[in-house]
Amino acid sequence: METLSLLMQGFAVAGTPENLMIALVGCFLGTIVGLLPGLGPINGVAILLPIAFAMKLPPESALILLCAVYAGCEYGGRISAILINVPGDAGAVMTTLDGYPMAKKGLAGPALSMSALASFIGALVATIGIVAFAPLLAEWAIAFGPAEYFVLMVLALCCLGGLVGDSLPKALTACLIGLFLSTVGIDSNSGIYRYTFDLLHLQDGIPFIVIVIGLFAVSELMLMLQNAHAAGEPISVTGRLMFNTQEFMLAKWTMLRSALSGFFIGVLPGAGATIASAMCYAAERRMAGKDHQFGQGDIRGVAAPEAANNASANGSLVPMLTLGVPGSGTTAVMIGALTLYNITPGPTLFQDQPVIVWGLIASLFIANVMLLVMNIPLIRVFVKFLSIPNWLLVPGVAAISLVGVYAVHGTTFDLILGTLIGGLGYLLRVMNFPIAPFILGFVLGDMMEQNLRRALSISDGDPSILFASPIAIGLWVAAAAMLIGPRVMKAIDARRVPQEAVAH
Amino acid sequence: MLKKSVLALAACVLAGSAFAAPEKPECIAPAKPGGGFDLTCKLVQSALQNGKYLDAPMRVTYMPGGIGAVAYNTVIANRPAEGGTVVAFSGGSILNLALGKFGKYTEKDVKWVAAVGADYGAVIVRADSPYQNLKDLIEATRANPGKIVYGAGGSVGSQDWMKSALIAREAGVNYKNMRYVAFEGGGEAMTALMGGHVQAYTGDASEVAAHLKGGRVRVLAVLSPERLPGELTAIPTAIEQGYKVEWTIARGYYVGPKVSDADYRWWLGSFDKMLGSPEFDKLRAERGLFPFNLTGDKLADYVGKEVKRYTLLAQEFGLAGQ
Amino acid sequence: MSERIFGGVLLLMSLAGIWIGWDLRPPVSYEPVGPRAFPLLVLALLGVCAVMLMREKTSDTVWAPPPVLRRIGALFLIVLAYALLFDKLGFIVATALMTIPVARFFGGSWKQSVAGGLGLGVGMFIFFDRLLDVALPTGLWLNGILG
Repeated sequence: METLSLLMQGFAVAGTPENLMIALVGCFLGTIVGLLPGLGPINGVAILLPIAFAMKLPPESALILLCAVYAGCEYGGRISAILINVPGDAGAVMTTLDGYPMAKKGLAGPALSMSALASFIGALVATIGIVAFAPLLAEWAIAFGPAEYFVLMVLALCCLGGLVGDSLPKALTACLIGLFLSTVGIDSNSGIYRYTFDLLHLQDGIPFIVIVIGLFAVSELMLMLQNAHAAGEPISVTGRLMFNTQEFMLAKWTMLRSALSGFFIGVLPGAGATIASAMCYAAERRMAGKDHQFGQGDIRGVAAPEAANNASANGSLVPMLTLGVPGSGTTAVMIGALTLYNITPGPTLFQDQPVIVWGLIASLFIANVMLLVMNIPLIRVFVKFLSIPNWLLVPGVAAISLVGVYAVHGTTFDLILGTLIGGLGYLLRVMNFPIAPFILGFVLGDMMEQNLRRALSISDGDPSILFASPIAIGLWVAAAAMLIGPRVMKAIDARRVPQEAVAH
Repeated sequence: MLKKSVLALAACVLAGSAFAAPEKPECIAPAKPGGGFDLTCKLVQSALQNGKYLDAPMRVTYMPGGIGAVAYNTVIANRPAEGGTVVAFSGGSILNLALGKFGKYTEKDVKWVAAVGADYGAVIVRADSPYQNLKDLIEATRANPGKIVYGAGGSVGSQDWMKSALIAREAGVNYKNMRYVAFEGGGEAMTALMGGHVQAYTGDASEVAAHLKGGRVRVLAVLSPERLPGELTAIPTAIEQGYKVEWTIARGYYVGPKVSDADYRWWLGSFDKMLGSPEFDKLRAERGLFPFNLTGDKLADYVGKEVKRYTLLAQEFGLAGQ
Repeated sequence: MSERIFGGVLLLMSLAGIWIGWDLRPPVSYEPVGPRAFPLLVLALLGVCAVMLMREKTSDTVWAPPPVLRRIGALFLIVLAYALLFDKLGFIVATALMTIPVARFFGGSWKQSVAGGLGLGVGMFIFFDRLLDVALPTGLWLNGILG
């Protein structure tokens, strides 16, 4: 078993004291970022990315940190969902439905511990899924040339369907702005400068980190001021902390089912943790028959969404690691982390960087065990963080974000640009433009354009090169399926449950 | 990590005491980490530390942008007098300086300290390619310029492109008629070569050694004045094969224009001492660089000559006035 | 209404972008496509989207009430000023100056805000510059003291 020996190598990388320490710090910070309302995984990863870089962590350690933060966020989001009825991140929206009622009934302890276990099972199933599927996918991904890369980008953009939100023109606009911004700077084919306005700082293009911090840190602060409502006092955790056997038996299949479906939803680029948790919650509620208390504090109602959102968060690492295609905003930021280290994410990653890939996978196992330990016995520690006052939190986040940008490039030009983009981000977000297509467009734009042009230069202008290989054809088919698939699914779903509105 | 931080902290405390060495030693790598500039900075960092030239460890910071353009302008305009700060440069920086891509400043606006090593161009094909030597490739290009696709890691006007254009010139093919595909960095170009998407890759000597061992590529020529030492000794130069193509990528450091004479002389002295030592040769070889030592005025002369040569090439290749 | 104004601005900007991009021609080119096609295509599509936005009838945009909006604007300007003065004033001073008003916006008392600002400025400087080796600007006038 080649995979197993590679995985063992991965554990050797992830198990060094330094990387264990990094994973622990990442889990801890991630849980805190996750539980703070308003800050989700993408903010956490975006803010920590430049800091990891500035600390001169080697690339595998930096990725371990970011993935631990990502995993931690998915755990942390449920704490505020259960205790103050405010989801700490978008994936935990569904957890509020039964978690908060449970807490009000005095069952905060079991709700927290059961959801932690569900998170663990979801993440574990998904990580096993990564080990099983990712190398298979990476196997045939080696044969990628410029033409195949181009079609891959088309596929990734087609997957955006899942991120569209309410208004198609708005999602398209966001994506196109991202695509346009990716053309700023030197054109890597012809060597001319595009849209740099003679500014030396723009010669290499707009740095990814500047876009990310602008969109996800600066604009977040402005939104926080807008939404500064006094969140309710957290319900204190009293009584028993652990769920009992009866509760476990009730929820065990729920967790497993939700974990499996969450993983597969996560693997599909575009469909993220939010969709996975909503779908699994709705499915479990339907399957529970008449005798359920969903909505009033059913333990399965916290188990299902938590298993699903953790599974899907981990599942979205599969397209990122194998194809270099970000499946979500957060994985797009992680791809940015790789490019920051001059590592080109893509089909050859498994071959060229086994240390990074397998170290990362192994560290997911380790991080999840750490998170389980942190989130059951140590839960009271984290509850305290819910009472950090905003007057300390917000300026701290602002300063840390901008220090991060400064650390990467050492010039204040990037700080100014990041702030301006943050202003734009605020306007877009207030007007309900989805931000994920923006960031994906920015990440994919350059690769898409350059690979198309390269493919056409290789074939001397003959477009048939784009359909020449079986891989390219397969990708075109997949792209078509991604465009049509969700609509078909929606139609089927609507016919099956006409009376029950599927929670969004 | 922790150990390093503690050391750094201790060093910061010690830095107060007076020594001749400039304060706050820092090397700016004008690119993202992992590339050639990073390597250049790491080289001087470890050499200074091993030789105990400095008490405080040297920081390596990154300031990417335009193959050094951002760092060049920042140092001249905002940090001209920092005696402890050296900035890494490469042949690519000199080329862009000559092409006017560094803004209003010229090569006379900084103090050139030392060149410590060099890399040389190389012409690479796939191991199963029909071209056994540079002549085969050049004749094939001459016979049918549309059939041979050159690939490399740089855009039109970059060093990698210039190498391809010079090979094409030897074949009597105008640079406008050759086929060239630009990739994002040498790694991608090498992958494309091995995947059969391009027929020849004009890369660098330092990056081929690892691939040569794997038996996947063949190096037709190195573009150095003489044969290279080490693993590449068996590879003939282009000049040996009768083609006057030479491409040297020097690597070294400069400091800001208003750095005090005392600090500047300290750097010159330290580099002169370091470059003569066998330890430095070893550090340099570990980083895949070949010897190329110039300091002070000699380096400034060299840079001046290179700028003139590149300017002429740019005019010939229609890149001037960009 | 907001969407219409935004759509209008976007339309003007994409037209300007197309106008600027029209002259993007390389001195030497080997490719059938060239550097101009992609940005122009994207900008053209963006223009179409802008028109679609302008024609959308319903708007679900809810702006904050004017006093909050003024504070959000002030927050933006403060962060922008922070970015501009980051290396001139030095990290510690700039951070303290940025933190105090922002903390006030988020409900801190004067005492808390000043203490928080100084704590963040000095604490983060020690953490990043001294422990993590991230070079932060000390500011021209503090150079002598902090060396």
